[in-house]
Amino acid sequence: MWRDPGTPTDSFYEVRPECTDVPKTKFKIKAGKTLSVRKWKAAFTPEGHLDIGRTLGRIHRGGIHPSIRGEVWEFLLGCYDPESTYEEREEIRKRRRAQYAVLKEECHQLFPIVGSGRFITAPVITEDGDPIQDPIVLLEANPDKGLATVSQENATPCSSTMVKEVDKKIIQWKLTLHQIGLDVVRTDRTLVFYEKQENLSKLWDILAVYAWFDIDVGYCQGMSDLCSPMIILLEDEADAFWCFEHLMRRIRGNFRCTESSVGVETQLNNLASVTQVIDPKLHQHLETLGGGDYLFAFRMLMVLFRREFSFGDSLYLWEMMWALEYDPDLFSEYEDPDSANEGSSKAKAKIRHCGKYERENMKAKDAEPPLPIAVFLVASVLKDRSSKLLTEARGLDDVVKILNDITGNLDARKACSGAMKLHRKYLKKAKKT
Amino acid sequence: MARRPDEEYDYLFKVVLIGDSGVGKSNLLSRFTRNEFCLESKSTIGVEFATRTLQVEGRTVKAQIWDTAGQERYRAITSAYYRGALGALLVYDVTKPTTFENVSRWLKELRDHADANIVIMLIGNKTDLKHLRAVATEDAQGFAEKEGLSFIETSALEAINVEKAFQTILSEIYRIISKKSLSSDEPAPASIKEGKTLVVGGSEVNAKKTCCATS
Repeated sequence: MWRDPGTPTDSFYEVRPECTDVPKTKFKIKAGKTLSVRKWKAAFTPEGHLDIGRTLGRIHRGGIHPSIRGEVWEFLLGCYDPESTYEEREEIRKRRRAQYAVLKEECHQLFPIVGSGRFITAPVITEDGDPIQDPIVLLEANPDKGLATVSQENATPCSSTMVKEVDKKIIQWKLTLHQIGLDVVRTDRTLVFYEKQENLSKLWDILAVYAWFDIDVGYCQGMSDLCSPMIILLEDEADAFWCFEHLMRRIRGNFRCTESSVGVETQLNNLASVTQVIDPKLHQHLETLGGGDYLFAFRMLMVLFRREFSFGDSLYLWEMMWALEYDPDLFSEYEDPDSANEGSSKAKAKIRHCGKYERENMKAKDAEPPLPIAVFLVASVLKDRSSKLLTEARGLDDVVKILNDITGNLDARKACSGAMKLHRKYLKKAKKT
Repeated sequence: MARRPDEEYDYLFKVVLIGDSGVGKSNLLSRFTRNEFCLESKSTIGVEFATRTLQVEGRTVKAQIWDTAGQERYRAITSAYYRGALGALLVYDVTKPTTFENVSRWLKELRDHADANIVIMLIGNKTDLKHLRAVATEDAQGFAEKEGLSFIETSALEAINVEKAFQTILSEIYRIISKKSLSSDEPAPASIKEGKTLVVGGSEVNAKKTCCATS
């Protein structure tokens, strides 16, 4: 039987020719499997209601065609209700774009480099609120002038901001700006897309506005890895912002930090409990090696495997995860959090519209909120390497080394199936105990 | 699976790379362990690490270098990785004065979380950016002397002094350790014993493996 070998997707996320050691994308567009433009359009009624159930199945089977990824992600992440009409969605989109413009203007007032097409990579403020005049910032803010002129003129990068700041919220926000800049210049730089200064500053703007919008989280390293695809997939900056913001709603807990902990440690603890149930020997071994805190899995959870996969494959992995986790009430829960618990009766009718992973969690009827599928993805990666870890890892460094070797060698689809299998096993075993 | 000859070593030294975000820690590490410099290097999320086995004072030393994220809020988890570290390379960027000013904060961090006897070396990186230099060598030198740290300036990009920096800190660690093991009263610090145990443990595992294979 003739089999469709699939069309490679590397052309959609073009890598700079001089970057030769970038892992190739394994994800291929397969006719009849990948959610195509035609199938996607056909999934809507004339008014714009989306048959999400059928769409989820297809995404799970073969991912999303790169040309429609952005708009499909908006549904997967709960930016829009599949049962809404074209008109209603247009209304929401308009409202959100206006809201983003307001947020961005607020930031621009506080720090004029926001929205200027430029960005900074050195601190502009001390923790006490005193302005810092770093020549690098001056140069970044006035790129047309040479460094000598800039320092001679003592040009202020942001006019009114050379006075001591007293507002704690503003200080806190300004302290993150250079960190965002430092990470923007290190995010997906192998892609042709980020050769353009305007795309770099777009990424910086969105992250800066987000840090202002969600002051509790602000900016934490790793968020640029999560935001970067949004900008590539959604042309409108405001749309990209809200799509990123919806992704953050799912995982912002990971980025919340205190003096003594990083939010993701909750998920690492969950990972420990899961491993203890499904592979007690491995858990025991890791604990003996001093890895009982599972910190070696920190990055995988923090940036959702972006560093373990090629750019294209990580997008494929994400959309499969979100399709599996999909809950049709996501939109209403986000828009109106108070109504979240009302819909338990209608949930039954909607089960067809839930992702596979979500359905199994609903069946399990656990009192605890379900764990994110990402935890099971990591657990399955560990389990697949269980024998290697048990026989070869004699120290934590060996564990890290063995896990480092998975970079570029994972298969997104297999990883998801593995996670689903472990999840079922976990639910069964957890029930017994 | 037997250990390859290049994996045999007399000592295992754990060294941590710390310093503000973007000063070039990861590139110092890749220059030292793989002789590579990556212009498209990504930010470090949490902790990453690499090893290299080399000759130090006539002994084979396996240097295990832990690279940490620079952002302040990651401190909560990275401090766990100071445990057992014999050396710390504290890096700043010679073009960014604030990264040098923050060195004292990093020193405090080390004093709070690391072993009291940890060998610390101050590194001013990115000397290739000559036209942008903003921290004078003398200032850093003076600071290092005052704090009792060794000091060197490097360029990971041009591969200048990187080898020397690592060689110096590893030799220093070696000298302290060999001195310690000479004086019989004083037991060697735990982490060094760990290093030695690892070697012994390694051959034990090998022996077992061979048994299994032949039986």
